Amino acid sequence: MSRMAGAAGRCLREDPRRILAMGGGGFTMNDRSGVLDRLVLELTGRGVPRVCFLPTASGDQREQLMRFHERFSLWPCETSILSLFHLQRDRLDPREFLLSQDAIYVGGGSMRNMLAIWREHRIDAVMREAWEAGVVLAGLSAGAMCWFEGGISLSGGRPEAVKGLGFLPGSLSVHRDSEPQRWPAYQRAIADGQLPDGYAADDGTALVFAGRHLVECVASAPSQRIVRVELEAGSPVQRPLPLRVLNRAEAPASVGRLAPAPIDAERVAVEELRSVRVLRQRWE
Amino acid sequence: MRRPPQIVAFGGGGFSMGSESTLLDDYVIGLTGVPRPRVCFLPTASGDADHYVVRFYRAFAAGRCEPSHISLFRRETGVADPRAHLLAQDLIYVGGGSVVSLLGTWRAHGLDTALREAWQTGVVLCGGSAGSLCWFSEAVSGFHCGAPRKVTGLGLLPWSNAVHYGDEPARRAAFQGAIATGMAPGYGVSDGAALRFVGVELAEVVGSGRDSGAFFVSGDGHGGATERELPIRKLDQCLFPAHGADAGEEAVAA
Repeated sequence: MSRMAGAAGRCLREDPRRILAMGGGGFTMNDRSGVLDRLVLELTGRGVPRVCFLPTASGDQREQLMRFHERFSLWPCETSILSLFHLQRDRLDPREFLLSQDAIYVGGGSMRNMLAIWREHRIDAVMREAWEAGVVLAGLSAGAMCWFEGGISLSGGRPEAVKGLGFLPGSLSVHRDSEPQRWPAYQRAIADGQLPDGYAADDGTALVFAGRHLVECVASAPSQRIVRVELEAGSPVQRPLPLRVLNRAEAPASVGRLAPAPIDAERVAVEELRSVRVLRQRWE
Repeated sequence: MRRPPQIVAFGGGGFSMGSESTLLDDYVIGLTGVPRPRVCFLPTASGDADHYVVRFYRAFAAGRCEPSHISLFRRETGVADPRAHLLAQDLIYVGGGSVVSLLGTWRAHGLDTALREAWQTGVVLCGGSAGSLCWFSEAVSGFHCGAPRKVTGLGLLPWSNAVHYGDEPARRAAFQGAIATGMAPGYGVSDGAALRFVGVELAEVVGSGRDSGAFFVSGDGHGGATERELPIRKLDQCLFPAHGADAGEEAVAA
């Protein structure tokens, strides 16, 4: 963890805001390696974190919901899904529900639809509140680009620049390796000034932010890349960023260690209660 | 074929409610006045749920119409130009789900203006639940948590609307309450019944015979609301309505 020492380490300790932006991979993409998904839980620094999946961008595709439960049943956590198409059935106040989570995992799909629907339900404001309260915001593809000022989305059929929420500075383009048609559109958008400088990330990689600072880049395999893309003398120039390859065998809570949650008796009691509940749910 | 602007707002029913009777679906197909109408399904309010799209294709089989659907969550596949596709239809069928999510998504793709154009050029618009509420200026939508929410629709019809009206007492009370406190007067419709508007005026109310009615609700001038029950024409299994276009033009003239 020496890599995280110094300025980055200070950021992690002092700023409670966490965003994990994945270029692709994770359970929705049928990624066999669960390291990025596990990192979502680790970043919460909790023993039994509450993690909520928000599948708005795919229109709450059923297969994604099933895969979410399947993947997160591997680790101690309390899972839930927030559907913005079935608020009536579920009788949920989305704000209250999201703010009670330790991590919010946003799925991929149509970025344009997701942000339009979030706006209608005022989820964009709730996300900012959650971020500032230290709820880990994580996601892939549309669910990763949304936190930046903009990204390259296929929401309209062809790759095009779409505005994001702007919690994080710069822009992001995803699926750098698996969907090469995004790359020329991204370069063009940066050259035209439609998008600010940013990052292009492969499937299986992720950027970890504390506040608005990039703390590190992680990957599930050594061959994967994240590149920084900057406009220099009118044309976009790319430079690969150093990556930490996540260890499959690594014990959970490795990153959480850097951001220890303050210990108080009440929280410990609540966590114990939750772990008992999780175990019971598993056996019933 | 020239048709007046028409909207059929179901209180609930049709294939999307899984009802065994297809009376309402047959009725809207009849309104197009063409033997094999082009029918496009918009499942946006459900998030383009696959099972819903499959049920549409089953109910609107290729034998009696030319069915298609537009997925706004997978624009990279399917219909390339949604506006052009919508304008080429005889009937647009909007599925149920979340009306708030529906309107946000439509606006993000410019479907709000495309649907207005389609309506003005005589494409019959219909739908139930969210697919009904969306056409009106205001509506009382589901009960997310606590109070029901007032929703601003596309406003093609200058009225308010409530669906599943006689079927869910809380909805009925909320609708009356909203109208008493300033929402536009409008129509409460129960499952199995449907309102047909020609232009912005109600032309008729049709029903399966097993519905719990349709009502016009307006403010009573004393801070309350009054309900007027509307006569319902019972649909017959094999009887199509008087030809959509003719009846429509009459109503517009009147």
